[in-house]
Amino acid sequence: MKRWIKEDLWRHALLLVTCFFVLFPIYLVFLSALSPTGSLQVTSFIPKTISFKNFHLLFTSPKIPYLVWMKNSVVIAGLVAVLSVVIGAASAFSFSRLRFRGKKKGLQLLLLVQMFPAILSLSAVYVIMERVYNFAPRIGLGTEPGLLLVYLGGAMGVNIWLLKGFVDSIPIELDEAAKVDGASAVQTYWLIFVPLAAPILAVVSLLSFIGTFNEFILARLFLVDQNSRTIAVGLQSFISGQYATNWGPFAAGSIIASIPLVAIFLSLQRYIISGLTAGSVKG
Amino acid sequence: MEKFFQRKVTVTLKYIIVALVSAILLMLIESSFAKREYAISAFLTVGLIAIAITYLTNFSIPMKFFLPGMLFLFAFVVGPILYTVAMSGFHFQTGNYISKPESITQIISGGIRPDAAQTTFDVVIGEDPGKKLEILASDPTNKKYFLSTATSKTDLDPAGLAIDGNGDATVAPGFTALTPSEQAAQDKALGSTRFAYSTDFFITIEGGNVASLKEQSLKYDSSTDTFTNVLTHAVYRDNGRGNFTNIKDKNDQLQPGWRAPIWFENYTKLLTDPQIRSALIPVFIWTIVFASLTVLTQFALGLLIAMTLNRKLHGRRIYRSILILPYAMPSIMSILIWGGMFDTEFGAINHLFGSHVHWFQSALYARLAVIIVNLWLGFPYFYLICSGALQAIPAELSEAAAIDGASSRQIFRKITLPLLLQVVSPLLVASFAFNFNNFNIIYLLTGGGPQNTLGGAVAGSTDILISYTYKIAFSAGNQNLGLASAISVVIFVIIASISLYGIRRSKVLDSFK
Repeated sequence: MKRWIKEDLWRHALLLVTCFFVLFPIYLVFLSALSPTGSLQVTSFIPKTISFKNFHLLFTSPKIPYLVWMKNSVVIAGLVAVLSVVIGAASAFSFSRLRFRGKKKGLQLLLLVQMFPAILSLSAVYVIMERVYNFAPRIGLGTEPGLLLVYLGGAMGVNIWLLKGFVDSIPIELDEAAKVDGASAVQTYWLIFVPLAAPILAVVSLLSFIGTFNEFILARLFLVDQNSRTIAVGLQSFISGQYATNWGPFAAGSIIASIPLVAIFLSLQRYIISGLTAGSVKG
Repeated sequence: MEKFFQRKVTVTLKYIIVALVSAILLMLIESSFAKREYAISAFLTVGLIAIAITYLTNFSIPMKFFLPGMLFLFAFVVGPILYTVAMSGFHFQTGNYISKPESITQIISGGIRPDAAQTTFDVVIGEDPGKKLEILASDPTNKKYFLSTATSKTDLDPAGLAIDGNGDATVAPGFTALTPSEQAAQDKALGSTRFAYSTDFFITIEGGNVASLKEQSLKYDSSTDTFTNVLTHAVYRDNGRGNFTNIKDKNDQLQPGWRAPIWFENYTKLLTDPQIRSALIPVFIWTIVFASLTVLTQFALGLLIAMTLNRKLHGRRIYRSILILPYAMPSIMSILIWGGMFDTEFGAINHLFGSHVHWFQSALYARLAVIIVNLWLGFPYFYLICSGALQAIPAELSEAAAIDGASSRQIFRKITLPLLLQVVSPLLVASFAFNFNNFNIIYLLTGGGPQNTLGGAVAGSTDILISYTYKIAFSAGNQNLGLASAISVVIFVIIASISLYGIRRSKVLDSFK
């Protein structure tokens, strides 16, 4: 008993304090989402009345195109997640397994490029896409396909690098065996590598999805029109206008948007963490 | 047989995709070339040729794998990086945003003034027989009537015209009036067309059915590349920095200017321009403080939690699930929620502690808030990393030390921490580099504020380099893309050196050999 007090009590105390720190904002989100006044004004930490008005408002108010924002985010992030891994995996495979001239130079370029924070070239991307808009208004600045292209390009450096790390960890003997049996590089890729790497590819595409879903500044610069906004930009625009009044629907919207991400994260945490230690930092 | 058929399908599919992509690229090349975006069309052409060679021949198998990725990488990462470097050598800001030919066109179209008598005409807007825009102008006082297009003027004899009660002509031979909706469709052309009057004067439409007589007050001479003001006879010459400047008065410039190369001036400005330097130095120091404090606090709390949970404990799994929640939530939303919690009047923080702190009005409290929020967001990452690393340290080491009489503090400092740091230090470096550019937390939490209003500088007390750069590049009314690009390049050099140091330590480079 004495030992328990000495060894475990302080642990529980520390953990409880940290849990309080972690849960406090999350609790407040639920509090304001369920409060009928719809503000983050705290008069009491214990709710007196519970109402689902804010959730109801999200789906019915014509001023809040919540479902449209959600759809935009899911479509853009989904496409980025799938396409960037399809394109990235092929590149990673060639850099990890195939021999070709200039491979070392290519790897060095890749290493340098994936360190470059995309946000640093923000103004260049902006000006370039402004020019693209001049001759191709459908994929230039202010369009969803344009944003998608920029995201895909931006994800490429980190994704190829990350995937290359994973490919390196798959035993090369399997490829060599296939080669001895007369398989071409393309066959090795589709019949050996892709099935083996499927779980890894899924994790990287999930990380891409989360990263894109969370992306704010490019989306804000690119998508001006109310109905083409992503959820992050939409919800932000929502509380930056009239400050205190929109907190309820904002909180409700955040909860709905967070649940799928938190669920994915918690259920796949072991895989995601292995991706994190490999060098990606969540934004 | 089945295999043969399968192969046929995939090959056909490949050709369809290649054809589609090529068609789209061709269209883009054509339209970009038409709009004189030669750099972009050149890149697209190279891309198209590469795709054709790679996928239609067996030139190189590896290229079949990496070409799409590389094309994206060059288009949206390498391209913008090079463009940033190029922009940093230009005088490229509000007022100097367009190219020189565009700027000359705009100065010419803006450099006009009404004639001395301020003559106006009543006009009917219409078309000549060749469907060209034409006006039927009437000067009721002097009983003068004429037709005018952009190129020619035809005087009319009042005797042959139908003239209404105001003394205005309404119908003329060969002239067709436009309906209001037709006029609306040609709105832009109507506003910019100069209708002929005499060699020095022309007519512009002021609105509805009134037009006035104008003359060119700024005349461009392309042989000497100068503008001359007709009235004052002042001569304006290209000053080599993107503006036409009065040769007698350096401060008298014509607007708009254009983006002009000034080489390294944006970089030297960072060090020599007192206004920029006085903003940049505190921002730079805070960026380093912010990134270091963030990594330090996140790592310390993460490690503490990892060590606390690194043994059997009741409710360990529940603790773990709760403690990684901040990491699983979309960070943008968490940041915005924290922003609301720090509100002075209604915020939960002040309510909880019964305080009345103006969090975002004082530099110190705003910085504290940023660090607290970033701790909340980031410590679970280090908790996860550290708990993994701790489990990898063999228990025999600390047991042996304990037998030798080492205290638990000694074991931690001499055994656990050094071994842990070996694993974690590349990640600490990476995290420092990430937070060095952690734009979202600053932009969404404080917006860089509180603003230092002294001297009208745009930098606020919590602005880090990247958010300050963003303000320079995108603040309404006073964009300076050249300067912002120069700062971006400097940041990249810093980040690249830090990351390369980290990478060298983690020995990634060895694997290239």
